[in-house]
Amino acid sequence: MSTINFAAREINCKIVYYGPGMSGKTTNLKYVFGTIPGHLRGEMVSLATEDERTLFFDFLPLDLGSVQGFKTRFHLYTVPGQVFYNASRKLILRGVDGIIFVADSAPNRLRANAESMRNLRENLVEHGINLKEVPLILQINKRDLPDALPASMIRAVLDPKGELPVFEASAHEGVGVFECLKMVSKLVLERLSQPK
Amino acid sequence: MIEPSLALYGEAFDQVEQHLLDLLNATGVRYCLMVDRKGFVLSHKEALWAPRPPALDSIATLVAGNAAATGALASMLGERTFSEQIHQGENGVLYVESIGDKALLVLIFDSSVPLGKVKLYAKKTIAQLESVLDNVGEAPKIEFDKGFSDTAGALLDDLFG
Ligand SMILES: Nc1nc2c(ncn2[C@@H]2O[C@H](COP(=O)(O)OP(=O)(O)OP(=O)(O)O)[C@@H](O)[C@H]2O)c(=O)[nH]1
Ligand SMILES: [Mg+2]
Repeated sequence: MSTINFAAREINCKIVYYGPGMSGKTTNLKYVFGTIPGHLRGEMVSLATEDERTLFFDFLPLDLGSVQGFKTRFHLYTVPGQVFYNASRKLILRGVDGIIFVADSAPNRLRANAESMRNLRENLVEHGINLKEVPLILQINKRDLPDALPASMIRAVLDPKGELPVFEASAHEGVGVFECLKMVSKLVLERLSQPK
Repeated sequence: MIEPSLALYGEAFDQVEQHLLDLLNATGVRYCLMVDRKGFVLSHKEALWAPRPPALDSIATLVAGNAAATGALASMLGERTFSEQIHQGENGVLYVESIGDKALLVLIFDSSVPLGKVKLYAKKTIAQLESVLDNVGEAPKIEFDKGFSDTAGALLDDLFG
């Protein structure tokens, strides 16, 4: 459940970008940061290594505005995709309300995509959450690569039952970035008005 | 949801605010925050004389991330927890301590403020805050109706195009 602070009348939702190393999670966040007007977002915090790989997380707060008297905020996080950072990845997943899985279209990253999706499921299970309870969006990124695998192939591997909303993206050009964010935000907020 | 999320409201919220204010006045710290484990600011008080605080959102996130990492280290080393974290700079101090397993107390103050005094008062405040939080039950269920989804949808259109 999102944190609801009644006295201050605030709703805070945590959205996490997940996926293998170098798939473009930080790039998504940077694009959002660069595009949303300054008064609707806070500062972007990046805990990265010298070569710009995410070490712990990136963070960006966004203000949606007031919904029925509740000031509504999104906290966007990216996880470090590199395999050996799993301990930090697991921490970032705490309290997650919605997930955007950023897959890489490069042919040599198909296996990394699959492993990261499996890792996501394992980490959620360890936190005691059922994946079905958290909105999950699949973003197939780097569609601009000349040797990009067919989106249908990537989807068949990551979402064989065809259950997830899917968007194709080229995050470094901003293509598909807001579509994903809007969809996951919508699903997260809809859950608030649908008592289980 | 994975993490116990705190819904502070009504009397409990007022009590928390009062305890933070008392602590602020007793110790002379600049900023005093209660943050949940997910990194959201639940309550915040600042001294009247203090300059505008830095981005509290970011501070809360980093403090919670730091606390989560420290907690993971503690359990790897067979400790139940490492309770407090003190970061001392040339001019100021950041002091973080757990309020039970649900929240964190964050104090930011000048180096001239005696640390021992802050610790002493913080422990007392934490005991008070813990007892407030222990008595916070489930949040009253707010019924967000269809209007909620519609308004939210329109705002999302504005924000994300
Ligand atoms: N061609 C192409 N390159 C992209 C795209 N999106 C991101 N990149 C590049 O991919 C590289 C890695 O991007 P990041 O956003 O840092 O990747 P990440 O997923 O945050 O990686 P980790 O932090 O290690 O998990 C960068 O050089 C980006 O410019 C895209 O849509 N197309
Ligand atoms: Mg990154």
